[in-house]
Amino acid sequence: MIRYFFRALRAQLHGGLSLFALSLFGVSIGVAAVVSIQIINLNALSAFSGSMEAVSGGADVMILGKMPALSEDTYPRVLATPGVEAAWPLFRLDVAAEDFYLEVIGVDFFTPIDVPWEGASVDLSAALGEPGWVAVTPTLAREKGWELGHRLEVSVGTRKTELVIGAFSDFQKATPLASPRLAVMDIAQAQSLFGARGELHQIDVKILADADPSDVIAELERSLGNQALVLTPEQREQQASDLLSAFRLNLTALSAISLFVGGFLVFSSTQANLVRRRTEFGLLRSLGATHRQVMGLLVGDVLLLGLLGVAVGMPLGYLVAEANVERVSATVTNLYLLDAINELEVPAWFFLLAAAVGLFGAGLGALMPALELGRKDTRSLLAAFSLHERVGARALRSFLLGVGLMFLGGILYLLVGDRWRPAGFIQAFLLIAAVPLVMPLVVQGATGLLHVRSFGLAYGMKGLGKQLQTTPVAIAALAIAVSMVVGVTTMVASFRETLAIWIDATVQADVYVSTPAWRRSRRRAVLGASVIEVLARHPAVEQVDRLRQFFAYTNGRRFSFAGVDARAPGENSRFALLDGEMLGAAPGGVMVGEPLARKERLSVGDDLVIDGPRGPVALPIQGIYYDYSSELGSAFTHLETMAKHFGAGPVNSVALYLEDGVDSERVVDELKASLADVPLAIRSNRRLREQALRVFDQTFAITRLLRYMSLLIAVTGVALTLIVLARERSAELALYRALGASRLQIFRVFLGKGLGMAIVGIVLGSLAGVVFAFILIYVVNRAFFGWTIAVHWPIELLVQQSLVVLAASVLASIYPARVASRVPATELRREDL
Amino acid sequence: MLRILAIVALVLLPPAVEWRVAAPDYAWSFPRDHWAHDGYRTEWWYFTGHLESAGRTFGYQFTFFRIGIVSEPIELDSDWASSHVIMGHAAVTDLASGRHVFSEVLYRETPLLASFDHEPEERIGWSRGPAGTKALWTLDFTGDGFRIAARDDRLEMGFELTTRAAKPRIFQGPGGFSRKGKASGAASQYYSYTRLETSGELTMGGERFDVVGESWMDKEFSSSQLEPQQVGWDWFSLQLDDGRELMLYIMRREDGTTDYAKGTVVSPDGEARYLELEDFSFEATRHWVSPSTEARYPVAWRVRLPSEGLELDVRALVDDQENKSRLPGGVFYWEGAVTISAPGAGGEALGRGFVELTGYGEGNRPPV
Repeated sequence: MIRYFFRALRAQLHGGLSLFALSLFGVSIGVAAVVSIQIINLNALSAFSGSMEAVSGGADVMILGKMPALSEDTYPRVLATPGVEAAWPLFRLDVAAEDFYLEVIGVDFFTPIDVPWEGASVDLSAALGEPGWVAVTPTLAREKGWELGHRLEVSVGTRKTELVIGAFSDFQKATPLASPRLAVMDIAQAQSLFGARGELHQIDVKILADADPSDVIAELERSLGNQALVLTPEQREQQASDLLSAFRLNLTALSAISLFVGGFLVFSSTQANLVRRRTEFGLLRSLGATHRQVMGLLVGDVLLLGLLGVAVGMPLGYLVAEANVERVSATVTNLYLLDAINELEVPAWFFLLAAAVGLFGAGLGALMPALELGRKDTRSLLAAFSLHERVGARALRSFLLGVGLMFLGGILYLLVGDRWRPAGFIQAFLLIAAVPLVMPLVVQGATGLLHVRSFGLAYGMKGLGKQLQTTPVAIAALAIAVSMVVGVTTMVASFRETLAIWIDATVQADVYVSTPAWRRSRRRAVLGASVIEVLARHPAVEQVDRLRQFFAYTNGRRFSFAGVDARAPGENSRFALLDGEMLGAAPGGVMVGEPLARKERLSVGDDLVIDGPRGPVALPIQGIYYDYSSELGSAFTHLETMAKHFGAGPVNSVALYLEDGVDSERVVDELKASLADVPLAIRSNRRLREQALRVFDQTFAITRLLRYMSLLIAVTGVALTLIVLARERSAELALYRALGASRLQIFRVFLGKGLGMAIVGIVLGSLAGVVFAFILIYVVNRAFFGWTIAVHWPIELLVQQSLVVLAASVLASIYPARVASRVPATELRREDL
Repeated sequence: MLRILAIVALVLLPPAVEWRVAAPDYAWSFPRDHWAHDGYRTEWWYFTGHLESAGRTFGYQFTFFRIGIVSEPIELDSDWASSHVIMGHAAVTDLASGRHVFSEVLYRETPLLASFDHEPEERIGWSRGPAGTKALWTLDFTGDGFRIAARDDRLEMGFELTTRAAKPRIFQGPGGFSRKGKASGAASQYYSYTRLETSGELTMGGERFDVVGESWMDKEFSSSQLEPQQVGWDWFSLQLDDGRELMLYIMRREDGTTDYAKGTVVSPDGEARYLELEDFSFEATRHWVSPSTEARYPVAWRVRLPSEGLELDVRALVDDQENKSRLPGGVFYWEGAVTISAPGAGGEALGRGFVELTGYGEGNRPPV
């Protein structure tokens, strides 16, 4: 039988190479979609974890500051805690250098921290005594062409300083995924150069082997109170992972849809295989082959397809991942402030997983046809035209089941809304499952409405209603892909529009001034007082609105906390309010952004309880505002209120309001010229808006790729189905030809079928897409990110996309139509009549 | 007395070009010179002694090292700005049970962790205890002696001792200039208190004892002492029952031969007489091999000093008095209480003392 399998395979390839190639293409793209996203997901945290391992690999516990800073007085307390074998302080800061960030780690070289020096030793007298001494990774030095002694200018806020490369620390030697931008310097130099006397950011602790870690952690938590977080490396990694979880989950869900659509394709091709080899299997059975042997042939086919699909899909997926890693990396660094993905690492187990996914997908696709085959007796296998009637009879039942599933999704929404995170995904799954179920009746109904006057396009379309075994599957695959495209496109467009409106409302000042290190260093990115004076002195500046920002904790959740001057013109409209009212002139209250309010279930009138340096600070919530700046959550208060509870601190950015009629771009140029020596990011209102939208587009770029991959799979499905039809119906086509139908007529009939499939797929897919968009906007986004998005229909874009799908489907029909039109009348056999 | 500095290997010292060097005409000024001398690269305060408590006897060691990293003060806006490292060693030996416990600290000089003060503060230096313990290690000058405290709760050992000079301070080497080799820079500024009446409390194995006894204190500062061919030293501080004290040292070469040697004999009334290589000799009569480091240390000697009419048997009271650092670098040395008797078995007891042995064991070399 094995020999037969290979002979039959050769014959199949010879006879139906295009069919096989299309099936393979579909499976490969499906696998590639999943593989690429999973590789990116797998590596999204790799640099963070790698750097953590490189710097804190020897630590059992990490202590992180919760306040604006972790006071260095904490260190002796940690050191004296029973059960502590060793503890070492870390000063960590991302500083802006040229066009990148250097991740500076200030260490005490006389603690047991393990710095992987390149070379035998390092001159510690230079490390301590030579101003700006820093050790960088050899990777970065190679990339930038730096040698020992090279000087580079870096900045934090408006503070500039010069570093000199005194040694190389090869963090990547032991931990290849560690960021190449890690730079080590003496803690005293780091604190002094970056103006942070008395501040630490982390204390790593090694626990004695004979001590109970949980006792030591409890003792540390007790002695440090609410000033610090005491985390194990696993908890620290989990914290970072939680940050990205929503983003990663969304990508995974989108990639799963690609696989789902790919699964349909396998279904179609296996179905095609079955249809094409139905008589062959019947013959084999009648010649004595057992049911198991015939099933074995089918399973062998599917396995081969799956394996080849995996073999092509995995490298393809890797290439896709590599091509997109920069975009995802930009999101990871810009939005989540984690380390950039430096290189992709794919563990061996992942290949097994990807292979399993591919084979499972192919197997799932072949399950139904195999069961079908199992049920058939030898006679029915040898008989023609028996396949579709049964499906036709089941169409109503299937339709009702599909409607039931959608109904269930609706009930789920009514019951839990956006309060239960998985609800959105369950609803999306129910929707996707419902589409193929309703499809046979929809196809029957839609084609039944057609009045056929000639043997051409319309005739082809109407015929779809009679080929219910194969066509609804392909149409469903197309409809699901279209629904995903419509849903995601609508969600992204709605989000973008909402963001644009929000930016319009929020970004009202004429000029914004921050520093290059602002995005990553926040609190430490200080705008010097003298700089603010210079800005305020510009004749066109009417008002300076200051902002001080740092990360604070409420109820264990990290959020961006800002202090602002609540006295700028138009202040009341500066934040679009969701509930409550704006901060009044009197200090004391706090405004909370929507994501934070949703995640912490806070309402107007509640207190926002923030961990402060002297204990919890409870601020009454006066209003909740729309906030799309970060899913981490944000809140702001008066600068005075912030200073009262958290101590006075420097300003991080300012917004300048100019006199009416002044050209803000000209003022930006003038300010840049007058402050040329100061590292500043001075942007006009327009520039800032453009930048915000650019970051947004970058974040969603990967979803666009996934949408297109799904569409590609679905269109391939259309072509595949039509090829199957052309082969399956060769006798019917031969009859048409014998009855006088021209080749062109048959070509048109098949083109009509492709067109019909595309139209039904697009219409039903668009309808499902609308529901999908609602699920994404009202359930998934709110539950995972806490954002309210106003629905905005990008009609023009959707129509364009539909036309592209239509055109692609028609194009995909040309080859099958040509194959069909070439069927000669001699194919007609006696039993077909 | 030149003492252990092997552990500073981990500090990777720079060349000593900018440091002050020991000089024969150094202008001593007391009590100021009891405190730190920042311009020199290395400095130490070394206490060893024998203590008793109701029939129990103990040997102890307490040392603060100051190791200069940068010769000039570092001007940075940070509490961590520091040009020195402080290292502390403390050891207690229960002479009856033979149990020897060693503890250590190493911190950069910062107000957070450890620092050296200057006259007129009573405190000469302090550091936090080892990680996981709360007590501070301190060294104070009281006017007529020193107060020392060290504790390691994890090892259940510690002591708080007050010492008072029973004999006057003496210089080791003429004018307190002690040569360690033929090269001009190989020397230190060096003085000792050879007998300090000592009292206080001591903890060993979690048990607290009120103790009295006698200590020896060395104070040295220098910038370069060892010569390249020197691999370590054998060092004796011996207190004889007749009121004399002996300090003897030899600097050893790789092959075990003596490269350089010096000594001092202090008369009962406190007069110091300086000894040269040819004035004395000592030979090892028994060895002990450390099971953990495999270093082979001499633990019994025959010491001869004909000009004083002395021939002495010096024996370790406990063989295993090896100090092994747990810090990176893993340096180890032998620092132990010894007894002195007349030659031969059953010889008359003549006194007690301490011996330090460095540079024993494969690759275990002090870098200075």
